[in-house]
Amino acid sequence: MSKAMRDFTHGELDWRPWVAPLDLNAATEAQLVALKVTPSNRAVGAYSLVLAHDPEALSERSPLYNGIMFGAKGLPRADRELGAVAASRINGCAYCASVHALRFTQLTKEPEVMERVQTDGVDAALDPRRRAILDYSAKLTRDPAVIGPADAAPLRAQGLTDLEILDLTHAVAMFAWANRLMQTLGEPAALALEGNPL
Amino acid sequence: MNDAIDVIDMLAGLTAGSPLAHLRRQRPDVVKHLQGSDDVIFSPQDDGGLTRAERAAAALRIATLLRDVVLSEHYRARLAALDPDGTLARTVEGGSRTTEPRWDAILAHVDLVTRGPGSADRKDIDNLQAAGLSSHAVVSLSQLIAYVNFQSRVLAGLRMLKGAA
Repeated sequence: MSKAMRDFTHGELDWRPWVAPLDLNAATEAQLVALKVTPSNRAVGAYSLVLAHDPEALSERSPLYNGIMFGAKGLPRADRELGAVAASRINGCAYCASVHALRFTQLTKEPEVMERVQTDGVDAALDPRRRAILDYSAKLTRDPAVIGPADAAPLRAQGLTDLEILDLTHAVAMFAWANRLMQTLGEPAALALEGNPL
Repeated sequence: MNDAIDVIDMLAGLTAGSPLAHLRRQRPDVVKHLQGSDDVIFSPQDDGGLTRAERAAAALRIATLLRDVVLSEHYRARLAALDPDGTLARTVEGGSRTTEPRWDAILAHVDLVTRGPGSADRKDIDNLQAAGLSSHAVVSLSQLIAYVNFQSRVLAGLRMLKGAA
């Protein structure tokens, strides 16, 4: 784990908005509910304050994200993070990739995996199971139209169940969503990652 | 557990009680809030100035860019109901510019964020606001673009599993 990757653990503090964030003092009840703001918790980051301009969408997206990334059983959380890293690198969100690489490493205690991904990108040497997960994640991120029934075979050959494949699909798709919000409504203030993008 | 067919089932060609419809329902929070997202993105209580017809038209454009035939037909039908004279549909399907700077700015942003999310810049948001979109409308448009990109990938995975069953 490089020092650069460790530096991006502050989440929303490192994100500079291009749309003026909501002024909490002028927030509607619906916006406060969407943000889960209470009198004792008014610490809300700029990213959430921008999304709160559309409280209806924010209120659905937050539990959807949590269900996809943290839902019990099924695909191990670290593998969902691997899908998130692959999507984020391809979508150009170095900030998102570094945050989720760190989560992968926290979950697996295998820092060498993300070091290799950071350095070698798509060609990183991975065990066959992670290779299959990364290949599917990359293909689905780049062009969903070319995904076909044959793409399930390498995942199944590595022992993934259909629920696990569905979980991976959800995670990769969620980063098609997240990367598009974070990079177009503002600017992740992250340093460029070393190595080749996936 | 609610086993009624939802929009994702319909678009993936899943029937009630089928193995994949059942598999999806092992993730009840995902099913619930995916449908909930679809509802509030396309039929919001407060549209913030981005109309339902514009939302359907933007979604049609994204589905077309992604070459998702079923999703394109879904949004084409929705747009036809909201835009009976076909004005928006022609700008989306024909790729022609309109005489309305606001809609041109929206379509340009749809294309940019779908194709290359990493290449967006502050000026792209400034362009939308200069064309008259409120902060609410800008965020709603951004959520919509991101959602349809998400949706098409969820559908691709489900169709893969359906075809490989």
